[in-house]
Amino acid sequence: MNTSWSITKLKVLMRREYWENRGAFRNTPAILGLITVAFMLMGLVIKVRFDNEGYTFREAMRMFALQSEVDRGYQVTQSMMAMSGFFLMVMSVVIFFYLLGSLYDDRKDKSILFWKSLPASDALTITSKLFSAMFVIPLIFWVFLVATEVIMMVIGGLMIWTADQNPWTLAFGPAQPLKAWGLVLAGWITNSFWMLPLYAWLLLVSSKAPRVPMLFAILPPIVLAVLQAWIGFLKTFQLQDNVLGITSKWIANSPAILAGQITGNSDSEHTVSVSLGMPVTSTFDHAPTISNMLDRLFSTHMLMGLVVTAVFLFITLWFRRRASDG
Amino acid sequence: MNTVISTQDLCKKYGSQYAVDHVNLGIGNGRIIGLIGPNGAGKTTLLKAILGLTTFSGKLKVLGLDPRKDRDELMEQVSFIADVAVLPRWIRVSEAIDLVEGLHTRFSREKCTQLLSKTKIRMDSKVKQLSKGMVAQLHLALVMSIDAKLLVLDEPTLGLDIIYRKTFYTNLLNDYFDEERTIIITTHQVEEIEHILSDLIFIRDGKIVLNSTMEEVQQSYFELMAPPESVDAARQLKPLNERTLFGKHIFLFQGIASALLEPLGEVRTPNVADLFVAVMGED
Repeated sequence: MNTSWSITKLKVLMRREYWENRGAFRNTPAILGLITVAFMLMGLVIKVRFDNEGYTFREAMRMFALQSEVDRGYQVTQSMMAMSGFFLMVMSVVIFFYLLGSLYDDRKDKSILFWKSLPASDALTITSKLFSAMFVIPLIFWVFLVATEVIMMVIGGLMIWTADQNPWTLAFGPAQPLKAWGLVLAGWITNSFWMLPLYAWLLLVSSKAPRVPMLFAILPPIVLAVLQAWIGFLKTFQLQDNVLGITSKWIANSPAILAGQITGNSDSEHTVSVSLGMPVTSTFDHAPTISNMLDRLFSTHMLMGLVVTAVFLFITLWFRRRASDG
Repeated sequence: MNTVISTQDLCKKYGSQYAVDHVNLGIGNGRIIGLIGPNGAGKTTLLKAILGLTTFSGKLKVLGLDPRKDRDELMEQVSFIADVAVLPRWIRVSEAIDLVEGLHTRFSREKCTQLLSKTKIRMDSKVKQLSKGMVAQLHLALVMSIDAKLLVLDEPTLGLDIIYRKTFYTNLLNDYFDEERTIIITTHQVEEIEHILSDLIFIRDGKIVLNSTMEEVQQSYFELMAPPESVDAARQLKPLNERTLFGKHIFLFQGIASALLEPLGEVRTPNVADLFVAVMGED
């Protein structure tokens, strides 16, 4: 079969994934954006009700204006990136459940018999599901993140304006929203590669679990971890790394912007700073830069991760080829 | 005649039990085959093997391809309806058409919309909003718009009322079937399809117990309705099966010239259901 025909089919299959999961892919980030904006508006109402003539806010803006332009820009940009952490967390939940159901639901409701009656290979079907998780979901979430932040900038700008400051010169002019959005997207896409071993595991479970795929996804690693810890302890009398430890470190090393910290010495001088993954490990540099993202992609860790991914996907394909209804 | 399906010692085991037991078949094009068997006889397993939905041992070629390895290639030329309820419930009618069109080179959107225009199915409906009969109509419309060489129907009308079943088979025969195509049908409502069949295959415990054309069946099987005085004479001719209906004895014979039977009573061709009971009961 020729490649361009396969790519056409892959596109059709990915569109089908979107159709089936519009609720998760599109509505979830839309609702998340609405909730974020709603919270901001609720804050606005509180300000209007309790902040006497806007005095506190005005004062805060005045203090903010005292900082250097570079500092102000930095803080706005960092805050914009920090907000992506919420989207990333919700997105990860969406991807988790999407992948877990992707090769399971059609076996349960027998529609696999319809899917298998179509001339699309099992490898292509699995690819369409993996690519949806890696690219389609992050892209849609990113579009809603950007839209949400634009709306927030408009509201925030109006607030600053009512506090007798120029929102452009104070905050948005010095900020680098495009850099923030670009870094977030780059982080999410690299994260899709970084997470491949986990995604492949979920696909594997989905392709075979006879029921409750969630249980089959979580229980074996826990059992394995306990066994590893026990055997390791028997051997060395020390607690060593087990599969759960490795997995949580793996997630902490994610190249996506996840953690945001607020540090500051007084009430008026907050500094927001974001990092890649969780800055709790020292394997990689957690500063949010493209080169740090690429550093993870071209590491021996990633190489091992890809080997694991290949093994999991191979088994997934083997199961899917033999899968039928019931 | 081109061979569409050929098997050699096709076997499928579940545990120590054979679901398909050394099946040897050769099916040509332009046939409509009724695959008939009791529950658990291995019909669905045999069809699944043909469609590449299960593993097996032995040899099996469908349109020259190995269904295990080349399912996707095979599905370019094979269509199947496994059961009335297998269309995904979330899909819209228009999406289902887009999807099949996107994946199938041999799909005609024009034909599909034309077939659907005769029904009450709306393009923007979701499958879960359709009645069972409408889902079957939709599935049939999709399948009939694919220019396939082999169509496999496994209990396609299960749970549908008689009007749907009649139109289903009428449409199939009038708008789809031609001498280039082959159709395999399994159903429990044998009497509804026997007039459209060209071949009959009976399967029991995974083994083929009868495999012949309808003409052969008509030439070699006779049913004799005998009055009480000729019952003994009829029994001497070793019927396959005997039953009584309203005090009359009905015998089923194989391989006995109808001329021999005619003096004993009324002779006719048995229907498939009676033949099935007789052949399956034979041990």
